[in-house]
Amino acid sequence: MAYRFGTAEYAKALCDEINRSSEYRNAASKWGVGFNGNLLFAFEADAALPKALYLLLRLKEGHCDGADFVPGPSHPDTGFTLRAPFQLWRDVLERRTLAATAILTGKMKIEGDKVTLLKHAGSSRSLIHCTASVPTEFPG
Amino acid sequence: MKGRVLDSSEVEPERTTNFGHVFTARPGAVLEPAHAEDVAGAIRFARNEGIPVSVRGAAHSQSQIAISNGGLLIDMRSMGRIGPVARGASSVEVEGGAVWRDVVRATLQSGLAPPVLTNNLSVTVGGTLSTAGVGVASHRYGTQGDQVEELTVVLGTGEIRTCGPERDPDLFWAVIAGLGQVGVIASARLKLRSVRPMTRTYYLLYDDAHRFMEDTKTAMDSERWDHLESWASPSPQGTKPVSGRRQVFARWFFPFHPTVEFDEGSPPDDRALLDGLHPYDHLYTDDLPTLDFFERLEPVFDLWKRGGTWGHVHPWMEVVLPWERTPDVLEAVLPDLPPAILVGGHVLLWPAKGSTSRSKLFRRPEGEDLMGFGILPAIPAPFWDEARPMIENLSRLVVAMGGNRYLSGYVDFDEEMWRAHYGDAWDFFEAAKRRFDPDGILNPGFVPLRAPARKG
Repeated sequence: MAYRFGTAEYAKALCDEINRSSEYRNAASKWGVGFNGNLLFAFEADAALPKALYLLLRLKEGHCDGADFVPGPSHPDTGFTLRAPFQLWRDVLERRTLAATAILTGKMKIEGDKVTLLKHAGSSRSLIHCTASVPTEFPG
Repeated sequence: MKGRVLDSSEVEPERTTNFGHVFTARPGAVLEPAHAEDVAGAIRFARNEGIPVSVRGAAHSQSQIAISNGGLLIDMRSMGRIGPVARGASSVEVEGGAVWRDVVRATLQSGLAPPVLTNNLSVTVGGTLSTAGVGVASHRYGTQGDQVEELTVVLGTGEIRTCGPERDPDLFWAVIAGLGQVGVIASARLKLRSVRPMTRTYYLLYDDAHRFMEDTKTAMDSERWDHLESWASPSPQGTKPVSGRRQVFARWFFPFHPTVEFDEGSPPDDRALLDGLHPYDHLYTDDLPTLDFFERLEPVFDLWKRGGTWGHVHPWMEVVLPWERTPDVLEAVLPDLPPAILVGGHVLLWPAKGSTSRSKLFRRPEGEDLMGFGILPAIPAPFWDEARPMIENLSRLVVAMGGNRYLSGYVDFDEEMWRAHYGDAWDFFEAAKRRFDPDGILNPGFVPLRAPARKG
């Protein structure tokens, strides 16, 4: 069953996928230790996505404590924001573009301590892999 | 012209690529010059005809350098003469195509050696001076470029000019680590230092990056050691998923090999030397004649050659890191680095002091304590396309974390990254290019320096 992107069901399926992933559990075991590891994915509106969407992932020590689409880009619980046009996100989520390449070439913008995010490169990579593993019905 | 000229049809495959085996290009002609006047004459001819000129030594480069696509390739290995070395001399004159091994063997006969030697001694003086030249004594003496008294350079105009740190310094510092952009190094007067005949190396091992960093700094600051060499070494543990695909992963250890030179019959005091260091293990203590120490990696390179990995793709990624950022970089990079790409390669770490170098174009982060970090893989050609994004992202990651790439390796910068790399030295470099290679004919295809447009 494919989950419709942008829905509460999609967010829950993603959180469940993260918690099922031994790859993420190991790679992210130090993520969020001593800092706020919550990630906000900002899907900016473009031709395929008429209105921007914001997905908040509550992440700590290799575990997802919840995932919700939130109304705007400045949620107080956010530790880091990853921001990109929706089409780039889709390329990342469907593995046509490496998340690392998108981040390191500046196409995907980071808000938060970039060095911390880069230091935990394995955590980010395995998180994106979880996201790509959720069967998804994308708009557009 | 006393040298030999080969036309395109006579060019051997070896001279259509370099050690990187990433790029190939067939030159229109190859010149093996006999002396500086040959180089000057060829450059004047090429300038008049609008022919690009690339320069090659041992071609240990891995980017679009030391190869030529349809232009003139000057192979400097035909100019490898080494001047006489008197006992007690403070310098030696060598030609740009001289191989460092030959220089060392010549100078050691008088108990002397250049202060900084690269790990691989099969490379040429002109080649490493054009890149900077770092080695296990760089923590004391900076780069090889910092240990040059004088250069004779053939400019992009064909003029032969002599320069040094005090004599025409703008030219000198544009040639040192200048990637051949302003001139061809015809000869160099290299500083020499006295060398003791024996070395003792302590094979120390660390299981913790922070402890390793503490001890390398202690060793650097103590000034007890003549040479400091270190590595990151993988111990494969099994497989784990990386983006869903299982790959071998490793626990990483950090070998640290501090070395002192000594005279026969006066061995060093081990206890005093090692005081203050806290390795996980002390594996071995090795005494070697100093020449054998300088050539210590030859058996390793020989093994790589016999094993076939010398012919693999070598997209080496070397960087100079801020000291305090190094543990973060190691934590970011090593856990997912597949040990298999290091069959025929290795991961180097070299502690260094920023103030030891005066070079303008050897770029390094601010701060006195620095750490060189090199991932030197050998990748079978069929796997290069698959590995390429990983290597390119490693480069971007270390730069994003404050590092400056060391440019002997595989570099895929766009113009913005080149400018960021050189920072406030970019204008100096571009001005030197305009002044000394006004038609922009030297070593095109790598650094996007702008020379004035050709007239006519």
